[in-house]
Amino acid sequence: MTAIRALNSANLNGGQKLAVKYFTVALALLGAQILFGMLAATQFVMPGFLYGVIDFSINRMVHINALVVWLLFGFIGAVYWMLEEEAGAPTVGLKLGNIIFYVFTATVLVVVAVYLLVQVGPGEMSTQWLITEGREYTEAPRWADIGIVVCVLAFFYNVAATFFKGKAAKGGISGIGGVLLLDLVALAGIYLLGMWYTTNVTLDQYWWWWVIHMWVEATWEVMVGCMMAYALMNVLGTSRKIVTTWLYLEVFMMLGSGILGIGHHYFWIGTPEYWLSIGGFFSALEPLPLVAMVVHAVYDSGVHKSRNNNHPAMGWLIAQAFGNFLGAGVWGFIHTLPQINLYTHGTQWSASHGHFAFYGAYATINIAFFYMATQKLRGDVWMSGNLFGNWKWKWAMVLLNLGMLGMIMGMLVAGFAQSQIERAIGGATWTAFFAAQEHPWFVQGMYWRLAFGWMFAAGYVLLVWDMLTIGKRETRAVQSHDDAALEAK
Amino acid sequence: MIEPVKLADFFLTFLSAASVILFGAVYALLFAYAKVSKMPRLMPLAYSAYAVLFASVITLAKVTNLFGSAFWISLVVVMLVGYFLAPHAIWHLCVGTHAASHHNNPAVDKSVQTPTPPNFGSANTFHQPCKEKAT
Repeated sequence: MTAIRALNSANLNGGQKLAVKYFTVALALLGAQILFGMLAATQFVMPGFLYGVIDFSINRMVHINALVVWLLFGFIGAVYWMLEEEAGAPTVGLKLGNIIFYVFTATVLVVVAVYLLVQVGPGEMSTQWLITEGREYTEAPRWADIGIVVCVLAFFYNVAATFFKGKAAKGGISGIGGVLLLDLVALAGIYLLGMWYTTNVTLDQYWWWWVIHMWVEATWEVMVGCMMAYALMNVLGTSRKIVTTWLYLEVFMMLGSGILGIGHHYFWIGTPEYWLSIGGFFSALEPLPLVAMVVHAVYDSGVHKSRNNNHPAMGWLIAQAFGNFLGAGVWGFIHTLPQINLYTHGTQWSASHGHFAFYGAYATINIAFFYMATQKLRGDVWMSGNLFGNWKWKWAMVLLNLGMLGMIMGMLVAGFAQSQIERAIGGATWTAFFAAQEHPWFVQGMYWRLAFGWMFAAGYVLLVWDMLTIGKRETRAVQSHDDAALEAK
Repeated sequence: MIEPVKLADFFLTFLSAASVILFGAVYALLFAYAKVSKMPRLMPLAYSAYAVLFASVITLAKVTNLFGSAFWISLVVVMLVGYFLAPHAIWHLCVGTHAASHHNNPAVDKSVQTPTPPNFGSANTFHQPCKEKAT
């Protein structure tokens, strides 16, 4: 009988042990996101389903909040995962980091419980403080907002103090570490802008978009750049100098077009007309860095021949490159100019873009890190060619990717019908809204979305099963990059 | 400031916009692959992809009424020039960063590259056109 390798945290450093906790909660929250997404998708085709119990508005809110939080947990986990290696020092304040993890997780659970059990409150300040703030994506009540800020500050202390402690030993902070620290300052600082509101809805939306856009299209992109740089060094064996140089370049290019690209959110909220020009111009240029990076990908694959020590992680890193390009690049660009966005914003077209971009750019790289962590948890086990039971990760990847693509296409068709019937022909009236909702193209698109949602859910179940079992029966040790190179010779 | 797309042009708008990005990627892919693999015969295909991109940008500009103002025309020009030059610029950066890495820290690269030198020569070779490299 084949030997069984147990999951063993003794193989990990302090930061990595904490990272595994974050990854575990992140994976569970991904399940919650899928569950509530499926409920909301069912309500699109059966509007009476769970009506009065958990309405569509609640399902949608939990679906999206779960997305934001599981991605954040994944990112925080990834930072802790690489922290000690990058800093060259043990995590400073690890005990505090562990306490904060439990506080953060408990906060999320309480907030979700209130979302589901209390749901809404009267139009008073108590509702804002205790139940929900009510604004899309940042619905967390004020007490939780403050709690999140405290958690993020403690997290930042862990990261910054560790880098500064290691600075003397390593002769400086690494490029990845420097970018990461600056990014965390921006990430935390921008969140504060979502904690106040005004009665002027335009002004309110103006600052609210700073949180949403600057997180998703600026600070998260930079975070993913750091994660990708670390992953490429570890999985593919790319040299630090190269990934650091490209990280700087990517940050420069992303922020160059991404910051003023915020203008595409200001087209229709009552801001001055010049935002049409600014938003249209810079948004149109946002895909340019992604296209340019194709050259770098081809160049690097020419050098490394994609030899790697962790096939599942590498597979998800490749999925990230394609997903980011198609989801954020192509799907974003096709409706970013105000001349067409007038008809498409807020339709299923936006939902199609949102699903593709979040999944492609962020979910994929988190899953890659989960696999990197699993490999080490199993004691640096072999996860390259002929891996025992490798059908699971491959089928999980196929089901998740095909499921997502199917949902995206379903929403795309529905959004196309909406933008024409509701917006262009019907002039965005209430009657036109229902005319579009009842159109066969829209209805069929919603059915397809539900069907492929089931496929995606099946992929998730397989992914979790794989996470728990991959490498369990492997007896071989991880393949070093030297071995990989010699083997390929 | 803007003139919205006509209903009849919806599909063409989405198609041409998607083509801009996709053919931008095909151009970049073929351009880089032709150089990495020393296959200069792929280069005309790369520029053909750029030609489709060019046509897509013009079509997109027409259906989204960008030719009506100097500002939007400048966007068209920036896109055409940007997509054309970006692969060239990134290629030179690739060559530069990899060459610098080999030069400055051979120990690091020895452990992560193939034991044999990459098959596309030195940094100087990269700066030559494909046609010259092939001879």
